[in-house]
Formats: sequence, structure tokens, C-alpha cells
Amino acid sequence: MTKLTLRGSGYREAGRCLGLSVVAGLLTFGLTVGNAQAADEIVIGASIPLSGPLAGFGSYEQWGYKRAVDEANRAGGITVDGKKKMIKLIIRDDKTDPNVTASNTETLIGRDGAIAMLGSCTPPLVNAGALVAERRKIPIVTACAPLESFKAAHKWVYAWDLFFHEPDLASAPFKLMKDFGATTNKKIAVLHENGPDGQVVGGQVWPGLAKENGFEVVQNASFPLDNTQFNSTIAEAKSKGADIVLIMAITPQAVAIRKQMASAGYTPKIIVIEKGAEPVQFGEALGKLAEGVMVGGYWDPSFPFPGAADLAKAFESETKQTSSQHIADTYAAAQVLLDAIAAAGSTEADKINAAIAKTDKTYVVGPVKFDENHTAKLPMVEMQWQNGKQVIVWPKANATATFLFPAP
Amino acid sequence: MVSLEAIANSVASGFLLGGILALTALGLSIVLGVMRLVNLAHGVFLIAGAYVGFFLLQATGVDPIIALVPIGVVIGAAALPVQRFLLEPLTKFGPEAPMMTTFGIAIVLENLFVLYFSADTRSIERDYATVPLLLGPVSVPLVYVFGFVISVGVILIVHAIVSWTSFGRDLRASAVDPGAAAAVGVDVRRVHALTFALGAACAAAGGTLIGIIFSFTPASGANYLLTDFAIVVLGGMGNIFGTLVGGILLGVLQSLAGVTLGDGYRDLVGLVLFLAVLAVRPQGLFRGHAA
Amino acid sequence: MTQKTANLRRAVRNVEQLAGIVIAAVFVPGIALPNLLSDYELQIGFRIMLYIVLAEAWNLLAGYCGLVSLGSASFVGVGAYVLVGLLNHTGIPVPMAVGIAGLAGAALAAVVAPAVFRLRGLYFTVGTLALGEALRMLMINVPWFGGATGLFLHVDWPSSRELYIYVFGLLCVTEVTLSVGTRSRLSILMRAVRDDEDAAAQVGVRAFRVKLGTFMIASFLMSAAGALQAYKLAAVEPYGMFGLQWSVDVLAMVIIGGMGLRYGPVVGAVFVVLLAELLADYPELHVAITGLILIVLIRFAPKGLVGLLGRISSLLARRLAGVHLV
Repeated sequence: MTKLTLRGSGYREAGRCLGLSVVAGLLTFGLTVGNAQAADEIVIGASIPLSGPLAGFGSYEQWGYKRAVDEANRAGGITVDGKKKMIKLIIRDDKTDPNVTASNTETLIGRDGAIAMLGSCTPPLVNAGALVAERRKIPIVTACAPLESFKAAHKWVYAWDLFFHEPDLASAPFKLMKDFGATTNKKIAVLHENGPDGQVVGGQVWPGLAKENGFEVVQNASFPLDNTQFNSTIAEAKSKGADIVLIMAITPQAVAIRKQMASAGYTPKIIVIEKGAEPVQFGEALGKLAEGVMVGGYWDPSFPFPGAADLAKAFESETKQTSSQHIADTYAAAQVLLDAIAAAGSTEADKINAAIAKTDKTYVVGPVKFDENHTAKLPMVEMQWQNGKQVIVWPKANATATFLFPAP
Repeated sequence: MVSLEAIANSVASGFLLGGILALTALGLSIVLGVMRLVNLAHGVFLIAGAYVGFFLLQATGVDPIIALVPIGVVIGAAALPVQRFLLEPLTKFGPEAPMMTTFGIAIVLENLFVLYFSADTRSIERDYATVPLLLGPVSVPLVYVFGFVISVGVILIVHAIVSWTSFGRDLRASAVDPGAAAAVGVDVRRVHALTFALGAACAAAGGTLIGIIFSFTPASGANYLLTDFAIVVLGGMGNIFGTLVGGILLGVLQSLAGVTLGDGYRDLVGLVLFLAVLAVRPQGLFRGHAA
Repeated sequence: MTQKTANLRRAVRNVEQLAGIVIAAVFVPGIALPNLLSDYELQIGFRIMLYIVLAEAWNLLAGYCGLVSLGSASFVGVGAYVLVGLLNHTGIPVPMAVGIAGLAGAALAAVVAPAVFRLRGLYFTVGTLALGEALRMLMINVPWFGGATGLFLHVDWPSSRELYIYVFGLLCVTEVTLSVGTRSRLSILMRAVRDDEDAAAQVGVRAFRVKLGTFMIASFLMSAAGALQAYKLAAVEPYGMFGLQWSVDVLAMVIIGGMGLRYGPVVGAVFVVLLAELLADYPELHVAITGLILIVLIRFAPKGLVGLLGRISSLLARRLAGVHLV
């Protein structure tokens, strides 16, 4: 009897293993077969941060991408291979995790049949998704990724980026100070995250520009993307007495730094917070403390480009929220892709890719034309938070409000 | 290089912050000391408290800082059935099964938070959280002082409960020798359940303070969990005042690391210290809660 | 050798052979027939096989030797970074680079072992968690390995088919290692250490060496797996490769499948990957459900799915045979 049990258990285990593997195989086939794409739709995929620390950016991206696709569909779709087809936009949440961006992109291309992709936001996520698209030879158009960090990742063949150039972003505050003749003690404290754009802007460009313009960098501190306590850094900045503080951080950290500066009693005259101070959530979280904070901007409804003002109005009436510049670059990126597909008249990756390369049109963000590094530069202005809204203060020609100095 | 003023500010802030961190670690220490349970869900209990405080403020306008005790009670009460039905039955399987279960609870709760509250970063907005306090040449955030006073207060209350009530006596007996305690009539199961609830309540209170001073996301719990482990190990498992001392020590060391190496190294210093102490003297720098 | 042992050995050999045939049957056709599987299916196959490798390695460490580690991410990350570094700076072929990455992981294991083995039981688990996180924070802050940006792979990127073949190779190595490890005398030594280290030491088991050996083997496999993952992603950065999710996923897979059982990890890995695919559109739900399954299984089926099925099939067998075994 014992003999029976022992042998039985061995076979049972093997049987279980076999059974489960069969089930696994069936399920896998089921998954793939069940997701055969509808051949009369153009599938475009996008993996964006709808949750996590960058959720603020993600929600605007979603709106921008969707609007462009909805507009094209309302016009009847795009003519491909002689037939007019509707566009299906599949959006996945990558939870601000580059690993998820990569696997989402993989799934969108492999399982959902995306013939082109739209990018995520901020270099870690954008690069992760673009690498996958590049590997699969699928064109991907992205915004929301500063050009230098985009170029540094890879010599792209299938990925295209339209956004600002870090040197422009970094030099804006300096140019502003010169133009307005702002008097400070010329001491700068640089606080930057140690991600790709933090390292480029905070670690290299800002210090270089400071030296060029006769400023002294009394402190240059970096911190990880998930840091929440900045007391030591702020204590040092305060003790060094820097009048100007240049910060590069994502929104949650930007909010934390601003609040902790206040509770440390540190009141510099000029506060520049790149990236983090862009979304509306920054102003909402800080209330009065956001007053006077400056941030680089690449778009504003007041820009003289086709559809700019209408875009902001549409956003505000549809979502009942304050508009942000992120609706524009993503809207434009999606349009660039859709125009390229229409120009190519095909869903073949290489044809679309070639068409993107030939892009030369003015969109809501301005003229878009990609250079040999697959990047298109957007113009830079300096904005400032005033009364819970972002207004342009520089260049004076584009200004929509007067520059508030020193920061309250 | 680094000015004396910056160091002085850092040390002062670190001291106060350490006291606050001690409160967050208190629950972990008690549970570990009494039940020998490594509660990997401790971090999410912290965050749960922060969310309760956040929504309390939103819904009623009541400042969570005065509602710490009720918030703690709410989370503690919620933790009771968790212990009763999920953890208690596992005690016969050895110490790993309950720990893995708390791990499962942690990831379930964290993701429920994301599902219902989104992964956005939250902060309990209070005006006094952005005001400095000047003590001579040194300035510290005012809210740190509030938090420190409250933390020490809560720690004292818990110490009083443990030292002078009958429940506390039962708790200490169960910690030293559950078998002997049961033999003399202590309802060890009830003690464990209430201890777990007390641990969760302390965590929630600490979490609310963290939510006011800093910000939090559903995933923030993990960082505090590790920092709290460091404090528990420094102060001795189950040693309540040891936890306070451990917390302050860690707070100061973290601040010094922040000011010399960079704020990014704060947590790393805590972990390295944790590993070092664990390797050399796992029972903690101070005696455990036998005393 | 008694009749019982002989039958046990025969049964075990048969299970191994059968399992080997099953694994081969599921994964080999993808290689042999180049156009059978789509790119997507090759990717899924890669993930399943990679996860099986990780799960098997962790099972060896935790299930058989009792070293429940929450620091798997350290080894996955080390393997990943070493591979990218090797491929970027030397011209060695990929399999060799993966092997060296594995050795790097084993070396890390050897270095931390003396410190980490002083911790017993739960302290070991928490200690490995702290180690994993400390390593991640270190990689984020120090600039020598690219800091938070990480490193990019500058050589040609692999095709899905190439990856599939490599990971299949690694899977074979893993299965052979596990079979040898769990059938040899090492398995008895491991179990002795797991069940009561002090008693084992008393009867002459060199506990430290047993633990070290197991730790190094498991770390080798995990680092090799990390290396292949890096090769697939063509980029590495600390949050992704040293992140806690690796340690969590591996633990979940093995517990769901059946810790300490020979094929628990296989079942667990397949289950976890399929669940992830089914719930790909609901990621939080996916993790929450995984956690719930963990809690339920620990409570009601501590031996995981394999153990559960074992109990069910024993029950059925008894009913069918009409025999009541005491």
C-alpha cells in the first residue's frame, strides 16, 4: 500500500505539472488569438503616467492625445491603402515606472497591434518606451522629454521628440535677470534631482551658465527622485545666503522643497523650479507659497500659433480644470504622427517613419521640423506663478504680466 | 565647507524629527517585542493613518493634529480583525507565515489605496507646517516642535499603559514568556490582538504627523518601514524609551548624513546603520522589553 | 536500500523525466519552428521562462534551505548592470557575459554572507530586505554607474527569438541545477539546516558552508536572469533593476506555486505571468489580487497551488480507490 502512495504521489505531481502547463498553453493561445486586431482600424498606442508622482503630467497628456485622435476621427479618419480608416488610441497607465512603460509598450505593439506609438513623459519613462519601440522598429513620436537627455539615450531611428532644449530652459532665468536688471547678491544654490534631466540641467548647464554670467554657485546638491526630506540641503543653502535658488525636481518634490524652505525660514529673492512647478497641482498644493515661483514654459494660450487659445478654452470647458502647457505639446505630437500616417498613406512602419522625418508644419506649439537627431525644438519663455495662475514674464515681448521680484 | 550654522540647524531638526520617527516606530517595536511578529504591513498602517487624517481635514476641516488619538483608535480597531482572523490562526505555522501574511496585507492595502485614492502625492495642508521657529541662532520648522512634543506625549502615554495598567502587566508577561503567562491566567490571544491594534494605532498617529509635515503616496510606507526597523533595532525590541532614544539618534545621524553627503543619503545611512547593528548586536543597543 | 527507498527513487526519477519532457514540449517548439510563435508569444515565453529561473533559484534558497530572502533584487540588479558593462566595453559573446554576470552575483553573495548569515530566521529576512534597498539607494546616489539615469546598451539589440533561445538555455541550466541540488546529499544538508540549524551543527553539518553554497548558487541564477532581462531592455537603471518589485514577485511566485516543492516555482511563475497578462489593463487590481491570493494560500494552502492540487488529487485517489489510508 505504501508503494502505491509513493509512486502515485510522484505521478500525481507530474500530472499536475503537465495539466497546468497545458492550461497555460491554452490560455496563452487564447490570449493571443482573442486579441487579433480589427483590420479596419489604425491602432496607436500610448503608455503614460496616469498615476504615481507624475500623474499630473499624465492627465494632460491623455487629453492632448485623445483630442487629436478624436478630431481626426470626426473628420472621417485617415486614408490608408486607399481606404478611410478610423484611429483607435489605446492608452495604458505606466504608473510612473519605467519598467511598466517598457512592458506596456511591448504589449501595445505585440498584443494590441499598435502600428505607431505616442510617448510617455519625462526622460526615464520616455526613454524606456522609446527603446522598446526602437527595438520593435515601430515609430514613436513623443513630447515631454527634453532634447539633450533624449539624444543622450540612443541614436534614434524610429523615435522622434518635440520639446524644449535644456540650454534654452537653463539660460532663460539668466537672460531674464539681465533684461530686468534684477539686483541680487549673485549667489546661486542649485538643487536638482539626479535623474537624466536633473543631471543635465542642474549638474552641467546651470553651473556653466552661472560662471559665464558672473554668478557664484555656492551650492550644488542633488537628490534622488523619491526623496521627501530636504532639510539638510535647505539648511545649507540658507546658511550660504544664496539669493537665487534654481531647482529641478518633479512636482511632489517641488512642493516639498518649497514648503520646507518656508518652514526653514529661507526666503531667496528668485526661485526657479523647473518641471515640478509646471502642472496646476503645484499651485493647488502650495496656495500662497507658489507666488513668485518661476518656471520655464514652452507654450501658453497667448502664443500666436494656430488654435492655441482655442485649445486652452476647450480644455477648460471640457474638464473644468485650469489648462496647462502639457496639453499643447502632446496634442501637437499626436497630430504630427497622424499627419505622417496620412502622408504615408500606409500603416507600414518605415513609410510612416519616413513621413515623420519630412514633417515641416506649424502646429499649436509652433513650427515643428525634426533635425538629424530626430529632435524638434520648441521656443522657451519664462513663466511665473501669480495669484494661482501661470503668467509669462519673459521675454518682454510675449509677457502677459509684470515680473514679480523679489519672490514674496 | 559646511557651515556651523547649517550643521546646528540640521542637528536640531534631526533631533526633533527623530522624536517623530520614534512614534512611527513605536508600534513596530511593541508588536515585535510582545508577539515576535515582524509586521511588514506597518508601513501601510502609517499611510492609512495619513489618509484618514487627510480626508478628515477635507471633510470636516478638523485639524488632524488634535485628532491623532481618534485616528489611531480607528486604525487600531480596523487592525483588530486582521490580527484575529488572518494572523492568529497562523501562529502554529511558525514565525514566517504570519510575516508573509502581513506582507500580503501590505501589498493589498497599498494597491487598494492606489485604486481608491490614486497614486497622487498627498499632503495634509496646515499653515503652521511652513513656519520656522527661531531658537536663538538655530531655526527649526515649527511643526517639528509640535510633532516632537506630541510624539513624546504619545510615547509617554503608551509607556504608562504598559507599565501601570493591568493590560500592560499582561502584555509584559506575554512578552517575556507566553507559556508561563497563559499558565497564570493571562489571555494571551487577547493580549496579542490588542497589542497588534495598539501597534497599528501608534503607526497611524505617526503617519498622520508625517502627512502634515511631509507628503505621502500609497507607496511611501515602505521607506518608513525600513527606517522604523532601524530605530527598533537601535532601541531594542519592545523597549519603549529605547525606541525614543533610537529614533532621536537616527534622526540626528540622518541629518548629519544629509548635510555632509546629500539628502539622498539619509535613508541609506539609516539602512547601513540598521545592518551594522543587526549584524553586531541584533537585540538592540539597549536591553529589550524584559525590563 | 529498502524497497521503499528504491520505489521513491524510481518515482522521483520518473517525475523529473516527465517534468523535463513537459517543459521541453512547451518551450522547444518555439525554437524549433521559427514562425510558430508571434513576437508577442515569444515575449511571453521569455517572461515565463525568466520568472521560472528566478522562482526556482529562490525556492532553492528559501524553500529547501530555509533562507527566506527579500533581497533578490540585489542580485537581479547586479547581474543586469554587469552584463551591460561587459557588453558595452568588451566584445565577448552574450552567453559568456551572462555567465560572468551570474558569477558576479555569486561573488556578491559570498561577500555579504558572513554578515548576513549572523542573522537568523526573521532577522535574516528583514536584513536581506534592508540590503536590497540599501544597494538600490546606493546605485541611485553614486554617479559611477550612471546614477539614477543608469546605463544604455550600445551594442546591437537582440531579437525576440534570440532572447527566447538564451533564456531557454538558462532555464535548462536551472532545471538541471535544481534537480541535482534537490536529489543529492546537498538537499538533505539543506533541509537539516532549514529545520534546525543548531541541531544540524551538532551532528556535524557545516551549516555555514551549506548556506553559503546554496546562497551562491541561487544568486548566480538570479544574476544570470537579471543579465538577460537587461539584454532584453537594452538599458538598466536602479529603480527598475534593483527595485523591490523583483523581490516581491519572486516571493509571490514561489509561495503561490508551493515553497519547498520541486515544481512549485514552475507553476507559480506560469500563474503569475498569466495573471499579469489577464489583468494587464488593471495593474493595481492585479497586485492587490496577487496579495489576496498570497494571504489566502498561506492561510489555507501553505504548500501553494501544487500542494493544494496534491491534496485534492490524493482525496480523489482515495475516493476512487476506496481505500482509507491512515
